[in-house]
Amino acid sequence: MKNPFLDFRSLPYRKKEIPLERIVRAKQEVLEHIVEGYLRLVEEEAKDLVWLVEHSRVVKAYEAALKSIRDLHYDQDDIEEFCAELDSSHKIPYMISGPAGIYISALVNHSEEDRIVLRLQDYQRVFHFLGYRLPEGKTLVLQGDVGDFIGAGLSGGRLVVEGSTGNWCGAGMMRGEILVSEHAGQKTGEWMRGGEIHVDGMIRSVGKTLFGGRIYRRGRLVSPQPIGEHT
Amino acid sequence: MTQDLDKILKEIWPRVRRRHLFPELPAPKCAEGEQRVGLNIKGKKISISKEFVLEMSQVLKPQEVVEGLIDHAVSHYLYCPWDFSTHLKLYGEAKKVLKDKEMAKKATDYFMDVVADTHCVSQKDTPLPKIYRHMNRGILDEAIHALYQRIWGVDLGVEGHEGVSRKLSRLPYLDRSLWRESIRRFARVIRSLLEREERSGGLSRPNPMGSHKPQQYSTQEVDRGLQELASSVASPTEFKEIIHDFEDELLEAIHPTEQGMGLGRGRSLNADFLYYMKLAQNYFLYVRKTAMEKSGSLYPHHHVPWEVGKPYQDIDPWTSFGKIMPGITQTWQRVEGEVFGREEGTPNCIVIIDSSGSMIDPTKQLSYAVLGAACACDAYLRNEAYVAVYNFSDAAAGCRKILPYSRNRTEIYRILCHYFGGGTKLLVEDIEALQTDRVPDIFMITDMQITNLEILIEYFNQCRNRVTAVHIGDNRHVQAFRRSMGLRKNVGIYAVKKKEDIPRIVLGRVREYLYAARP
Repeated sequence: MKNPFLDFRSLPYRKKEIPLERIVRAKQEVLEHIVEGYLRLVEEEAKDLVWLVEHSRVVKAYEAALKSIRDLHYDQDDIEEFCAELDSSHKIPYMISGPAGIYISALVNHSEEDRIVLRLQDYQRVFHFLGYRLPEGKTLVLQGDVGDFIGAGLSGGRLVVEGSTGNWCGAGMMRGEILVSEHAGQKTGEWMRGGEIHVDGMIRSVGKTLFGGRIYRRGRLVSPQPIGEHT
Repeated sequence: MTQDLDKILKEIWPRVRRRHLFPELPAPKCAEGEQRVGLNIKGKKISISKEFVLEMSQVLKPQEVVEGLIDHAVSHYLYCPWDFSTHLKLYGEAKKVLKDKEMAKKATDYFMDVVADTHCVSQKDTPLPKIYRHMNRGILDEAIHALYQRIWGVDLGVEGHEGVSRKLSRLPYLDRSLWRESIRRFARVIRSLLEREERSGGLSRPNPMGSHKPQQYSTQEVDRGLQELASSVASPTEFKEIIHDFEDELLEAIHPTEQGMGLGRGRSLNADFLYYMKLAQNYFLYVRKTAMEKSGSLYPHHHVPWEVGKPYQDIDPWTSFGKIMPGITQTWQRVEGEVFGREEGTPNCIVIIDSSGSMIDPTKQLSYAVLGAACACDAYLRNEAYVAVYNFSDAAAGCRKILPYSRNRTEIYRILCHYFGGGTKLLVEDIEALQTDRVPDIFMITDMQITNLEILIEYFNQCRNRVTAVHIGDNRHVQAFRRSMGLRKNVGIYAVKKKEDIPRIVLGRVREYLYAARP
């Protein structure tokens, strides 16, 4: 009886390595490092998976985030992919919006690119603290609605939100500008020291304690309140 | 040209087949087609467009064009999507991101093309890149070809689309386990291009390598695909959404066979009961068979004195002392009796399903009651039996649907999936009306929160049917029912708390059989 597999013997099995495999491998490695850094941050800063928004904790989390990404080489696509991983992947067992936003801000601030666009409207989750301490010379465009504390502590960068922001937008910002194309939540600009916030839609409420800076709604100055006007 | 093309096909097909390790596909044919579309696949038969080959022959050898097209088609069968179920799952993921039927279909088509072609290029010597180099391109084609340039490492003469192709090149197309995640990201990246195509009317234009439709699969594959989809989706709503998007194509792909799909041409697809129909096919419930053959023959029962004029053949010589004498001679009086033979079979079944407000609406969420009842119906139908359905909520107020004994799946499922959502009262007269001389089995599925449960218990205590009672969840009514039925030997009680409990049900399992002691 003829061996039925003989016909296949003359067929050489050849697997070419195409660039795809190299690209995917390299990107996978970078993403794994980014994810690792985030998990370390959560482990250190949000023990028991509870994270309270306190100034000292925010600063500490940001410093820890910077430390873990110090030697990493990545680009905008990696940041975007990390956001997608946070949103839906099984690779990340827990996503805590506060530390996640601070970590993404650290990635943005530390990145070599000057302009970064993050498309957030497809995600189910909302990220807080995006644009935290965005430095001068950097532009961050956030497409879609975002969470609370957007642009907090902004340090001279330009933050464009193509959607609505949550509460405490621009809290404690120093310099730079925040442009919001839709609405802003409560306490917008609280503890603001400088810079400008421009909102095209409604502002639910402006922060009570402002040390400087200006807030505009549809091009009209709302804070500091112009002399003789009452809102 | 057609003759030449046929000759080329005859020459090339064995070579391509061998290269792809002899796939089980019929030989491709050449056919009239659109200039823009190279391939058309229907019922696993590959047709190559004569016009497309003719057009491409101006820059490439016709052999190369044909070979590349067949490589592409075969790669779809051998790698991606591989089967209809994968196709539907990929579409489902794309739809979640894009929220638009046409855009999701387009994104799925392109994703499957990228995966199949990349697999082919990485493993075989194929002229596919040559075809892509000379192909007419729309906006989206350009971006995809820019991606090919990047991930295949070949020059296809595309410029631009840097950002899109860079983002797309990061996806692990050759990792099958990540396809669902990959297509979500793929759809997100090409969304803006799809929107541009939509504005320019390009979405209705077929892909250059042909679109992917359910018609390309065999009926059995479509059936299997729906079955797998039903078991993989999170809810009936998700299933319904996908099925609605493919309704026309599915109706065209499915033959109007009642037994196979319960659907027919010219009718619309009822995704609600199709979901349960397909999901139930993934389970296999066992029906205990019972002695079915009954001989009504006469057998000697008792003695009566013989009288003159009575036949002699019934005389019992042993009790007559060998005498033929009135008053002494005894004859056997024969009586008709039920004698069970050796032949076993499955009786018909009355399926009682509770669709009151305390039960889950089967169209919104997966209802274990409907699934359980569907599995039971399936088991009886598979065994050539008939099924009657009694769907009730507040039966006294008219909230009930009764289907007399039938083997029509569509009708059975239509009644099973009906949801009243009212109170819970059952009329035993309705069940009694479904009883027949040949005692049917009873399958009941409910959460037992029936206002006249005691009447039902009383009925089950009297009836001769083999009863399989399934309760969803646990409550005091369930306990009461269990206590009351504890001693009944013809009632089997099962609890269903999760999907996995359903296969544990054995239909018609009674604790004692009349013929159990028979050798």
